[in-house]
Amino acid sequence: MSPRYSHRHGLKPLGAGIGLRRDFYEALPRTSRALDWVEIIPENFLSLGGRPQRALDACRERWTLLPHGVGLNIGGPDALDDDYVTRLAALVKRLDAPFFSDHLCYSRLGGVHLHDLLPLPFTEAAVEHVVPRVREVMARVERPFLLENPSYYAAMPGGTLQEADFLRQVVEGADCGLLLDVNNVWVNAKNHGYDPRAFVDALPLERVVQVHLAGHDVGDRVLIDTHGDRVCEDVWALYRYTLERTGPVSTLIEWDQAIPSLDAVLDEADQARGVLAEVSR
Amino acid sequence: MKPSLKHFFDSMDAYLAGPPGAEGLSKLSAAHPGWDVAPERMAIYGQFVRGHVRSTLEKLFPLTRGAVTAPVWDALVEGYTRTRPARHHELNRIGEAFAPFVADAAGEQALPPFLPALARFEWTDFAVFASEEVIPARVEQLTPNPTLAVLEQPYRLCAFVRSEDRGARPAAGDELALLWRHPERLVTYYMEATPPALLVLKMAVEGLSEDAVAQATGMAAPAVHAEVVRFAADGLVLRPG
Repeated sequence: MSPRYSHRHGLKPLGAGIGLRRDFYEALPRTSRALDWVEIIPENFLSLGGRPQRALDACRERWTLLPHGVGLNIGGPDALDDDYVTRLAALVKRLDAPFFSDHLCYSRLGGVHLHDLLPLPFTEAAVEHVVPRVREVMARVERPFLLENPSYYAAMPGGTLQEADFLRQVVEGADCGLLLDVNNVWVNAKNHGYDPRAFVDALPLERVVQVHLAGHDVGDRVLIDTHGDRVCEDVWALYRYTLERTGPVSTLIEWDQAIPSLDAVLDEADQARGVLAEVSR
Repeated sequence: MKPSLKHFFDSMDAYLAGPPGAEGLSKLSAAHPGWDVAPERMAIYGQFVRGHVRSTLEKLFPLTRGAVTAPVWDALVEGYTRTRPARHHELNRIGEAFAPFVADAAGEQALPPFLPALARFEWTDFAVFASEEVIPARVEQLTPNPTLAVLEQPYRLCAFVRSEDRGARPAAGDELALLWRHPERLVTYYMEATPPALLVLKMAVEGLSEDAVAQATGMAAPAVHAEVVRFAADGLVLRPG
């Protein structure tokens, strides 16, 4: 196993964080509850003035902020959006974020933003396509970069690699970190009929710098990664299983739909912090 | 990019650009012989991508939506979705071209005549709210709020938007509407331009002193000062000190 990505880049576990969402612009900067760091969706701050910027500045005074994008389109056919990457680099520097992240997916086709995270085919051709784009982004932003394993509801055509092998080849080829979304692992495992623990074991865990936890919807025939509920017990168990192999890593509670009170989200972060403490002993 | 990957993206682009329904899924599947995929699973992506356009429009244009019947609204959303309006990484920018689209549609179907102006007003409300213009914390002289937008419109939309009677229709009549983001509250303020508001804006734009305005207009100097203070409190203009 190669040296841990986080050690090579001087990245330390930050503890448990939550996302700065519009519902929390006023309350989050004033909370007296324990919170170790805050994740932001950069698209909400790259070109919007007013309230988002005030909330961002207020949070920046208290916590480390980590940009986690949804619009980089790292796997798409279009050239990287120059204006987007320029603005992202400026934001990362302004926040002095230790690293930034996005998803291993595509989100733009023919100049049209899909505003969703669509899966790539698990092929060598996709690996060859993505790797230089990741390197280009890291060179332009000049910070460590993590790619997240996305949820997907259908395997794309022509796949020749296992999902874990595809992830490994991309992050190793690009030499970037891995943001392991444990809820996505669970959702994908259930939707595609594989063992989530075996999947975790097959990943390049030495590259995991951050973990995401979230709730999902259970439909009749498919789980949907909604980020709209509490983290379920199965995902908490898989999280613990993962941390026992990676050691403590920065952990985010994602809650983006049917957003409850700030306290309810912070309760989830407290639970994650408890698990982090247990595996640290 | 390898031809196989380009073929994949081309087929997905054709699917997502097309109308919802089974035909697009069949074409997508046919483009990849041997691909064993459940159509209902792939349909999720079409629903997601199209759903973002609808949900964004319904967030940005609640009054426009409320001014038409559900079938008319659905037809507007569907027609606008076919234009593939998501051309920016910021989600709300999906709504940027909706008002011109409604104006074009109004020429082809029976829409309320005020609908294009109302859509433009709602978009401007958001654009001012989210403007990247930085409102300075201090100014050296009376200054217009840099987020200010001015709309000339053939309906009295300010009163209509302020009204809570959603069954009403805006009155016809020319209106000059002023919209700006309040410097502290960071929400959009709007008003029909009045002579005092335009006077204070003119003072800010042209750097006119209160005394000079009093002399030129015959207004009492304290009255001019009071108007400046009033519109500065509302954030329409920024005062030194």
